[in-house]
Amino acid sequence: MNALLAQFLTEADDLLAQVDEGLLRLERAPQDTDLVNGVFRAAHTLKGSSGLFDFPELTRLTHAAEDLLDAVRGGRLDLDAAMTDDLLASFDLIRGWLVHVTSAGRLPATAGTAAGGLIERLRRPLGGSGAPAAASAAAAADAPAPAVAVAAPRWAAALGGQWLEETAGWLEATSATLRLVRYTPDEDCYFRGEDPLHLLRQVPAVDRLVPVPPAAWPSADDYDEYACLLDFVLATRAAPVELAYLFRYVPEQVEIVELGASALTRLLAGEGTDAGQEAGQEAGLEAGQGQGAGRQAGAPQAGQEAGAPQAGQEAGAPQAGTAQAADARAVLEAALHTLSALPEHAAERATRLASAGRAVRAAAHVLGRDDVPRQDDPRAVAEAARRLLEAAQPVPGPPDAATSVSGDSAEAVQVGSRTLKVEQEKVDRLMELVGELNVAKNALTFLAASAEEEFGSRLLARRIKDQYAGMHRIAEELQAAVMDVRMLPLSVAFARFPRLVRDLGRKLGKSVELVTEGEEVMADKDVIEALGDPLVHLVRNSLDHGVEAPAQRVAAGKEAVARIRLSAVSDGDAVVVEVTDDGAGIDPGAIKRKAYEKGLITEARLEAIPDAEAADLVFLPGFSTAETVSDVSGRGVGMDAVRASVERLGGTVGISSAPGAGTTTRLRLPLSMAVTQVMVFSAAGQRFGVPVDTVAEAVRVPAGGFGRVLHQDVIQLRGEVVPVIDLAATLHLPWTPPEDIREVLVTQVGGQKVGLLVERLHREMDVILKPMEGLLAGHGAFSGTALLGDGLVLLVLNIKEVLGVAARAA
Amino acid sequence: MPLELRDRTATVTGVLTVEEVEPLAAWLRATARPGVNLRNCTHLHTGALQALLLFRPTITGRPLDSFLSAHIMPLLENRQSSKEAQKGAAQ
Amino acid sequence: MLVDDSATMLMSIKSVLTKAGYGVETASHGKEALGKVTGGLRPDLIISDVNMPFMDGITFAREVRKAAGMRFTPILMLTTESEAAKRAEAKAAGATGWLVKPVAPEQLLGVVKQVVPGA
Repeated sequence: MNALLAQFLTEADDLLAQVDEGLLRLERAPQDTDLVNGVFRAAHTLKGSSGLFDFPELTRLTHAAEDLLDAVRGGRLDLDAAMTDDLLASFDLIRGWLVHVTSAGRLPATAGTAAGGLIERLRRPLGGSGAPAAASAAAAADAPAPAVAVAAPRWAAALGGQWLEETAGWLEATSATLRLVRYTPDEDCYFRGEDPLHLLRQVPAVDRLVPVPPAAWPSADDYDEYACLLDFVLATRAAPVELAYLFRYVPEQVEIVELGASALTRLLAGEGTDAGQEAGQEAGLEAGQGQGAGRQAGAPQAGQEAGAPQAGQEAGAPQAGTAQAADARAVLEAALHTLSALPEHAAERATRLASAGRAVRAAAHVLGRDDVPRQDDPRAVAEAARRLLEAAQPVPGPPDAATSVSGDSAEAVQVGSRTLKVEQEKVDRLMELVGELNVAKNALTFLAASAEEEFGSRLLARRIKDQYAGMHRIAEELQAAVMDVRMLPLSVAFARFPRLVRDLGRKLGKSVELVTEGEEVMADKDVIEALGDPLVHLVRNSLDHGVEAPAQRVAAGKEAVARIRLSAVSDGDAVVVEVTDDGAGIDPGAIKRKAYEKGLITEARLEAIPDAEAADLVFLPGFSTAETVSDVSGRGVGMDAVRASVERLGGTVGISSAPGAGTTTRLRLPLSMAVTQVMVFSAAGQRFGVPVDTVAEAVRVPAGGFGRVLHQDVIQLRGEVVPVIDLAATLHLPWTPPEDIREVLVTQVGGQKVGLLVERLHREMDVILKPMEGLLAGHGAFSGTALLGDGLVLLVLNIKEVLGVAARAA
Repeated sequence: MPLELRDRTATVTGVLTVEEVEPLAAWLRATARPGVNLRNCTHLHTGALQALLLFRPTITGRPLDSFLSAHIMPLLENRQSSKEAQKGAAQ
Repeated sequence: MLVDDSATMLMSIKSVLTKAGYGVETASHGKEALGKVTGGLRPDLIISDVNMPFMDGITFAREVRKAAGMRFTPILMLTTESEAAKRAEAKAAGATGWLVKPVAPEQLLGVVKQVVPGA
């Protein structure tokens, strides 16, 4: 079975389930417009998708059901029990057919007769015999691409037999279409400042352009050189909107026809060029609408079409119809593609850039927008193109758009919203490849450096850097797109808690209400998964230690039912998850005493710690406040485990408590964790990296600017004294700091600034951080390794640990 | 000067504007076996193209301009050869 | 040549064209502009407003076409969204095309290149 059909069957299954459920609920609430809309949309989507396959009965039956539902939706009909029966029967029949399709790849032979009766019954309430609608449904199924003209106009012959033959073959092979344009300038067009040849020069993607001389020239003596006698016929791959924009000042002088292979073949065979046919073709782009009859070219048919000429030529009017928006999107995508691969050669580059700029302006015009980019700046043009693409949101519809019903864009978008279920391994693989792409991309910067340093070519280096910039942008977008696929809502992490809270509450004899907020906030699946255990720990703690027994609560003037709140909010690149209870809170005195008794803090600190910070002591390893070890909260591996796992994710954890009123634990986690930005620098000739989010700034300080306080090197930074650690010395690497200017990387950990004295700063880089392996695995100073583009393994420092090592050495 | 008219040959440099269509046409009309060098021509006004198609001079220099050489020259040269072919048939 | 009774419009369009390297002559209404043309000015392109005192843009276009050496000069009319009907009238009077106000600089330069060969 092909993948498209498999996808359709999966989708149909979901849609049928929605229809069933919706219809049953509608019986109980017939006035619920949301329900009607939901059922209608599902039927509409099913019909649209079915049109992709050769299932005419299925399309007809769903179409009939859709029409009935549309009438109900529009208030023209009240849904009664008999209609519901017919609808349910129809969708049951369809379900049966799809089973047959799954096994046999086609509808059962009886489908036609089985559908016939139901279609009639479905159409009966609508009044008509249903014949016209059924016919249009059939026509719709036969005519998937209404905009393509069925026969070529006679003037297309000017393009030449050989070209037509070759092009027909090519279009056949690619299922593509071409736009043919006939431009018949007015005789006096020069007197309006027009120069047809100059205009034609600007048509993008021209495959062939043929100036057509007049059938008979005037004699040389009568010749008026300022009367334009030439016609032009051209074939182009440019989109209709581009053409409409370009020819906007002379719409009455051009005809634009969109043609596929079959029309060209027929032209070559000498068919479809009689006068009546050509009259039909005058309708230009829209001519294909009546193509079913167009082939026979009955005079009335041709007349009707000719009655609405110019329709295609007016396509440039600033209104974004569905077809135009689709064209505009195609144009914008093509322009972006062009921009992403601009040639180096200056003249070529300028030409391509200009044509991309024109395309974007044309699209902007069609979309009725003024986002007109600076023509000489590829980034600005691309930027504008992307903005416009967003504006031209695809309005996905079924392939037979001619019969699609709704103009309501919000609804249409919903009709088309599709979900793809993808195995996680595939996404993970994609993520890995993105990582490798990043590494390969970074290699270009090394290449650029070596082009300049080893081969002495700054020009080549600059070109490589240009390429790098382009790839960097694409890689970034790709990465964001893949990251987006990996995003899951927090509701996944919160899902287990209602049950857990209920069960634990009963066990502990406490009555607790769980409130969850921000379940719709999204985060990377790794983050969501890793969040599970810490959250369980925190919620258990709240239940066990925070929330009091009901009697105690009542005595304290609180409600007997305690409340635990799980909430998530996104905050820039991070998600903040809070666990809040309205329990007893943490008594700072008790905490401090406990920590002292367990030997976790010295007597001096016991006195020094302010009450507000006392709660943080629960994160110390080995701390446990419960008077008795309960089987709920585990045994002494409390909050320090939570903190460790959150920090492993690159997050932070904090706690605040008001005695008697409750406790809030706040986890702050990165939204995603796959790629780390590191600042690369060297120390003692070796390169290292630090995560960019720990870097506050980089400063250059003269050697004389270094001072010494308590055996510690320090520098003054805007009046602040910042300790500086000589990284080389800390890591026991041989290096002597320079006597003139020194590079200091100022890091910020836990609210404190510490400078790292380094040899040289390089640049920021995206890397995939891998955990340390082998000999260095136990070396706390490093948080991981990353492969650089030049094959070197970069050691990424764990700043916090480095500071610890330095402190122990001091 | 984009249009340089000599006894037997005309040379077009850069953009041949609409204003120069008239002198070009007059020259073509008056010159026996004219030759036109388009090598350095970057654009021809439509009226000039039309005059070239009518009077069919020998094109002595193919334009370097890609648009002209791709889309316009085939017709100018084709005319040429068909004219010669006709002559050949007549003899 | 740029013709508009709004000094702001003149200034904004002129600055764009000047920056792009074009020489710009201005006039604040059709009569003044026509005077410059009959006085011998031969611009490569005329951009003119439609509604102006003394002589409107359409009359101006029609008159310009009568001047020697101005038969083929491209003329762009500055129109507003609501003056769509004027465009056909302008074309009949000899205008090449139109620009819709307000004109974005890139759009302006694009159209100039579109209508003036060699621009």
